[in-house]
Amino acid sequence: MSPAPARRARRRLGWSSYAVLLSLVVLAVVMLIPFVVVAFNAVKTPEEYATGGPLSPPQGLYLDGIIDFWQRVDFGEKLLNSVVISASVAVLAVVVSVLNAYALGIGRVRGRLWILVVFLIANTLPQEALVYPLYYLWTQLGLYDTQLGVIVIFTVIQAAFGTYLLSSVLGTFPRELLEAARIDGANKWQVLLRVVVPVSRPTLAVLVVFFFIWTWNEFFLPLVFLISNETQTVPVALGVLQGQRLMDPTMSSASALLGIIPAIAFFLIFQRTLTRGITVGAVK
Amino acid sequence: MFKRGQRAVFAALAAAAMALTGCGGGSGADSDPNTLRLWHFEAPNSAMGVAWNEAIKQFEASHPGVKVQVEEKGFEQIQKTAAMVLNSREAPDILEYNKGNATTGLLAKQGVLTDMSEEVAKRGWDKLLTPGLQTTARYDERGVMGSGKWYGVPNYAEYEMVYYNKDMFAEHGIAVPTTLDEFTSAMDKFVSAGITPLAVGGAEYPAHQILYQLALSKADRAWVDRYQRYTGQVDFHDPAWTYAATTFADWVAKGYLSQTSASVKAEDMGASFIAGKYPIMVSGSWWYGRFSDEIKNFQWDTFLWPGNALSAGSSGNHWVIPQNSTKKQLAYDFIAITLEKGIQSKLAETGGVPVVADLGPISNPKAAQLIDNFTALSQGDGLAFYPDWPAPGFYDVLVSGTQKLINGSAGPNEVLDEFAGPYQENLANVGR
Repeated sequence: MSPAPARRARRRLGWSSYAVLLSLVVLAVVMLIPFVVVAFNAVKTPEEYATGGPLSPPQGLYLDGIIDFWQRVDFGEKLLNSVVISASVAVLAVVVSVLNAYALGIGRVRGRLWILVVFLIANTLPQEALVYPLYYLWTQLGLYDTQLGVIVIFTVIQAAFGTYLLSSVLGTFPRELLEAARIDGANKWQVLLRVVVPVSRPTLAVLVVFFFIWTWNEFFLPLVFLISNETQTVPVALGVLQGQRLMDPTMSSASALLGIIPAIAFFLIFQRTLTRGITVGAVK
Repeated sequence: MFKRGQRAVFAALAAAAMALTGCGGGSGADSDPNTLRLWHFEAPNSAMGVAWNEAIKQFEASHPGVKVQVEEKGFEQIQKTAAMVLNSREAPDILEYNKGNATTGLLAKQGVLTDMSEEVAKRGWDKLLTPGLQTTARYDERGVMGSGKWYGVPNYAEYEMVYYNKDMFAEHGIAVPTTLDEFTSAMDKFVSAGITPLAVGGAEYPAHQILYQLALSKADRAWVDRYQRYTGQVDFHDPAWTYAATTFADWVAKGYLSQTSASVKAEDMGASFIAGKYPIMVSGSWWYGRFSDEIKNFQWDTFLWPGNALSAGSSGNHWVIPQNSTKKQLAYDFIAITLEKGIQSKLAETGGVPVVADLGPISNPKAAQLIDNFTALSQGDGLAFYPDWPAPGFYDVLVSGTQKLINGSAGPNEVLDEFAGPYQENLANVGR
């Protein structure tokens, strides 16, 4: 990814960079086709779909499918729920990860390798295995069917990964900085807040963005733990259209389009953070 | 120092999380004594959706002060979470739930559903519903359907039929077949005219339902009981199954259905019929409403599978009342309203199949035909349920076996052997 080899490649192999460009364009088109099909069908009337099939371009802009779906599931409320849950999880999970990683990566707690192994194993647990234990725990605690319950679950799940990642990042944290801070009289708490967090901010920002998107897209646990319609998230609401035997292709497309838009918007807003975080990692 | 600080941070975090979600609590079942919480998974414009909305209006009118709080759910969500939800305080007072041993039967066995037998007898629902419809409403102590206590009350029915494109039939001078021979000679005519007659979705349920229809043409009620309710030995090489598999393979060879249909989904099968690409489609009444809405370019109608006294079909999904429901009486009252003739007629007019007979005149002639066919089937005790019911996971076995028949990678005998294995294994699991 560093600029030098790329420049050399361009000089030496002019035609091959065109080949790369061409294949990237082809790849981009292939990636975009499903979105185009979804967008097409979202604005078609059911009759148009029935006569023309899924691939024909729409003859006009028919927004009833989108509007009907919005009203049917009260999509605005679902958006708000998703934002509240994903944002809380993203922030809380990063805070927990930082605290854990500070102890494991910089604090050098005894047995930290084994603690990390435990976190890694926790990461690989399938969510299906968590459902019943959590269900019994949450019904006892009164957290079943509350957003707080889901936030706690995902904070733990995401923080498990965050701890694992941040611990190895902070394990290579420059010792000189920590010692300098300590000589200046900073206590452990001040070292964390004034030195460690500011220096690793790009990494933390990327974690926040990833946790947000991952939590946003979660389907299974919210499906099980958010059973009242008024607490549900966007992906769960999209499931309402899935009938036993029948589907409504145009309305399903409309709902899929509505489901994608927030993720795209979020990506566009935080795109700079993401790319910056990736390059920071690459240079290191 | 470190520890105290950390604790303070955690306390602050917890407080923040509480504040963020303070308003996010679920609506507990004990929230309001005058609310009936109802869940179902029907689209608002479907026959059931329309009829039940009307039922809710009537219920609220006849129960002043009581409000029905409807939550529309996804089929999958109810399917995946029912056991957990119904066991908790968040359980609704009444919900639509999937019939069958693996669903209602299982929950009945676990004791989370209300035994409705007493109320059913008191309100006369056992006389209103034909025996075929009752089968899926009653479960014994092992959770096997067909006998025992009432745990569900069906509100609509479904059955297998033949949809046909009237225009294409007229164009080739073909009359509506009344026997299986006439049916096959009709398909021969289409084949000789260069048209593949049957729209089939081999990747999902439609293909093996055709296979089952063929088997049923050589079967009787005792055969169905043995197969569906484990009342006796099932032999997959008996005349009925052998006839079904060989005839099906023969139909493929004759070109009644295309070999590529092995990978076609049910949705695509329906869409191709709507687009007028095939003259005949064999499937269930659940397509009826959609065809009424979407087929504009040609005339179509339906007939029962020719020559069969038995046909795939059953009650639809039914109302169940969770054991934790606090408003059971209101729930019974609501069920009673959905079974009244007015609501059932409404369901019929919009393309649903009502469970109550003798509704009187139906203004939509095609819907009247749909109901007459069902009445004929149901009164003659002709509902034979669906082939994938007897064992969990049997659906996939049937789909893959029938696919092999379509693409010719296995002969009828091998395919029947493939069916027999998992079926007999399951018998051991249910204790037979």
